[in-house]
Amino acid sequence: MILLQNIQKVYRTDTVETLALSSISMEVEKGEFLSVMGPSGCGKSTLLNIMGLLDAPTNGNIKIDDQDTDHLSDTQLAQFRNKKLGFIFQSYHLINDLKVLDNVELPLLYRNCSEKQRKQLATAALEKVGLSNRVKHFPTQLSGGQKQRVAIARAIVGQPEIILADEPTGNLDSAMGSDVMEILLYLNKNEGTTIVMVTHDEHMARKTHRLVRLFDGSQVQ
Amino acid sequence: MIKHLFKLIWNKKKQNFLLFTEMLVSFLVIFAVFTLLVYYYQNYKKPMGLAYDNVWVVDYNNAFQTENTDSLDQLYVTLAQNIRSLPQVEGISFTSDNIPFAQNQNTGGITYNNKRMDNINWYTVDDDYPEVLHMQLLEGRWFNKADAIAKDKPIVINSDLKEKIFGQDNALGKTIGDGDNKQKMKIIGVFQPIKIKGDFASTEAGLYSRTDTGSYRWLGKILLLVKPDADAAFEGGLYKLLANYMKNSNIEIEHLTNKRKNINYFTLVPMIVLLIVAGFLIVNVALGLFGVLWYNINQRRGEIGLRRAVGASGKSVSGQLVSESMILATFALFIGSFFAVQFPLLNVFDLPTSVYLTAILLSLVFIYLLVLLCSLYPGKQAAAIYPAVALHEE
Amino acid sequence: MLKNYFKIAIAVLKRRKFFTFISLFGISFTLTILIVLTSFIEKAVGDDYPDRKRDRSLYITRMEEDGPGNMSSGSLSFYFLSHYAGSLKIPIKLGISSAPNGTNTYIRDKKISLYYKYTNADYWNILDYDFVEGKPFNRQQVDNAEKVAVISEDMKREYFGDESSVVGKYIEADNVKYRVMGVVGNVPVTSYMTFSDIYLPYTVSKTDYRDKGYRGGYTGILLAKSEADLPKMHEEYEQMVQKVPMERKDFEHIYSHADTYIRAFLDTGSEERSGLTYALVAIAIFVLFVMLLPTLNLVNINVTRIMERSSEIGVRKAFGASSRTLVFQFIVENLILTLLGGLIGVLLSVIILQVINRANLIANLTLSINFTVLFIGLITCLIFGLLSGVYPAWRMSKLNVVNALKTS
Repeated sequence: MILLQNIQKVYRTDTVETLALSSISMEVEKGEFLSVMGPSGCGKSTLLNIMGLLDAPTNGNIKIDDQDTDHLSDTQLAQFRNKKLGFIFQSYHLINDLKVLDNVELPLLYRNCSEKQRKQLATAALEKVGLSNRVKHFPTQLSGGQKQRVAIARAIVGQPEIILADEPTGNLDSAMGSDVMEILLYLNKNEGTTIVMVTHDEHMARKTHRLVRLFDGSQVQ
Repeated sequence: MIKHLFKLIWNKKKQNFLLFTEMLVSFLVIFAVFTLLVYYYQNYKKPMGLAYDNVWVVDYNNAFQTENTDSLDQLYVTLAQNIRSLPQVEGISFTSDNIPFAQNQNTGGITYNNKRMDNINWYTVDDDYPEVLHMQLLEGRWFNKADAIAKDKPIVINSDLKEKIFGQDNALGKTIGDGDNKQKMKIIGVFQPIKIKGDFASTEAGLYSRTDTGSYRWLGKILLLVKPDADAAFEGGLYKLLANYMKNSNIEIEHLTNKRKNINYFTLVPMIVLLIVAGFLIVNVALGLFGVLWYNINQRRGEIGLRRAVGASGKSVSGQLVSESMILATFALFIGSFFAVQFPLLNVFDLPTSVYLTAILLSLVFIYLLVLLCSLYPGKQAAAIYPAVALHEE
Repeated sequence: MLKNYFKIAIAVLKRRKFFTFISLFGISFTLTILIVLTSFIEKAVGDDYPDRKRDRSLYITRMEEDGPGNMSSGSLSFYFLSHYAGSLKIPIKLGISSAPNGTNTYIRDKKISLYYKYTNADYWNILDYDFVEGKPFNRQQVDNAEKVAVISEDMKREYFGDESSVVGKYIEADNVKYRVMGVVGNVPVTSYMTFSDIYLPYTVSKTDYRDKGYRGGYTGILLAKSEADLPKMHEEYEQMVQKVPMERKDFEHIYSHADTYIRAFLDTGSEERSGLTYALVAIAIFVLFVMLLPTLNLVNINVTRIMERSSEIGVRKAFGASSRTLVFQFIVENLILTLLGGLIGVLLSVIILQVINRANLIANLTLSINFTVLFIGLITCLIFGLLSGVYPAWRMSKLNVVNALKTS
């Protein structure tokens, strides 16, 4: 599903050159649930950004669903992300000025989707994460766990084939974290969604299919 | 998508309130300015009604104290003949003090169908008046010698007065009464109104009555149509002629072009000052709008990064931000138009409705353009935000 | 403590240069407009050349005669002023002069348009014209209807060219030769009650000043012994007017007032509409118009700025600063900004006034900045600063520490 070949990422400022990733090659199979672990600063987030086409590698090649992504224009990349990818962030990144339902339907706004369809899909997504009773609330009125569940609903509402999660349980306590993990596992097992999760939590990571460790920009396991 | 933007703006109404107020007040200010400009422009486009080049005005007073009216008349007739015989003079007319572009006004009332109308400009002029000023005849004719013994006092009116009294009906041949409805006056001609208060003021209803033998006693102005090559030397000679003929009078010779320039100053100068002040205010608002919008972008970096992650293209994001400003502007302009539309509805200042409506339209376009311009650059900045960086900024 | 605030304020201003620029632009230009306007008003209304005894003078400029369906108003006749106004007990002097009339004179094939004014002898005793040369005509010369004239400096230059002394020379105006008695400093046309190019004794006037009608082309100035006498003098004139018999059958009321300079200056020509009220309302609307938008703008920008500094504010609060302290700090910062803007505004005004003076749009009207003007400018600045600072400061004081520290 996701094929990385010799990915290298260098950050250049006026004075310093940082090598964030040095020659990573890996493959994520369709339907796989992959965990990526490593100490702070090892390049996990960078790897996820590159997989999510949010950032371009300095060298190397990515193929998603057998499609080359190097030569795609900004608009084409945007469309690609919209159709194939879903994102979950550590700090949720919900829009505080929009109600829960409006937050969830956000990805659908950038597709040709009628209002009725959007509402339907968004409500269905919220049901899947168990938040149907919070549809008209604002994010500021929700707990951390609830916020992350909204974010998950948003990530799945467009039925993407791949979900990229950056430390989804990082800001949650153990109970809420487990809840979130349950939902992700459910999605992976029952809907066949490919998930790549960056995490610090070894306990959570063990529940997934495969674990990859990064250290100073290189894969070590 | 539009509905989505509406929701965003409505939910942030507290934050957007200041911006909204600024847009509203700017609209009202621009509306005031445009109203004035449109009014002046509309007046400017109206025909002048006369030709002011080469017309000189002689102001005199107190000239002859002769008791006998006939001898008095003879003195003036002789004076007119002397002046007319000068090679540079092409026409001469005696008139009451309320000449075009003067500060003098002489108003009175008329009665028609038992309805009295006041504030009509009343001019007392002789047979040569329209020739000297090159006035435009619309219907009927001007005065001639035969009118001296007419049964009903003959008068000429301008089309403004005709509309005021008769509306769309015919005016020629009809009889109206003076203010007290004592004297009957018959309309023998209709002329194009003259812009007596300058290029930028509107025309006023006017009535011309013919001088009679007793008029010379109180008239104080002579209009002269001179050849284009009449210069200061000729004027000096003319002045001496007049002063020597009317030894007890103060004489002043002015050029109608100068009087027109002076009276136009009265409208132009305040208008220019207003434009400068308004210009500065708008620049101020534009800068402020720009700054606030730019700041907003920075605040919403996380949201912008998210939208990009979720599949919005750069163009979509900048389009969204520009649209948000435009929608906010629409709210403000809607409220503003509500206030502005009261002016024509309540007929404030007696300005024609078309002036107000045009001004509203122009102001709407102006403010929309302003908001558009001020949000284009910040919008572009938004599109340039790296989602990867924005989403991980904490 | 204040020095600390000052340093922080400057640092904040330097941090966001664009915002600072916008604020300074708005403040300085608004202030410039207000200063130029004040300067104009101050000059037109406050300039006391040549009537330096203005505080104990009253001006009679107009009379209105009313009847049913009939109204006539305008300046007064020489007869009315000398006979009726001259009969009052309280005024110690009565100056009578005509409104300036235009005429032409033709010299060396050049046409000069000029204004001339008829005066009585006491006119020169009430007003304090600066005589560059010579002196005014006296009572005897007026009584003898001598053909003498006082001319303005500009008139001297236009008519005589570069001659150094013109007293005793002849000037021709209105086809009559007059002997120059004196040359006075120029009066701008905005001081329309005392402005003219040539001043002549009223006895040489071609119009009959002996006409017993009440209306004519003259205005009067009553001089009192002291400022305290003004209200009594005003009252005496009012009483006198009410006892004056009607001129014609179709008039029923006569109105005329002896007013202070400003009232007389702003007279609209109608009994019902007060010129002073009109002027004040017009000025108030204009000032509001000019100040409203920049103030709104400033408030907007300040709110934005505050929100930007929310983490700084959170930190300060966390470490013990009370809301009051922070509000105070912010208002001080804002005042510093407005005063800085004010300084720039004053500099701009000086430049613009120089430009206006040099362009000589209204001859002899030299605008300047004096303490009144500067004071008004300072007050404006302070109002600006407070208005645009209070609301944002209030918003800021409501910021919750925890939220502020979280930022995102």
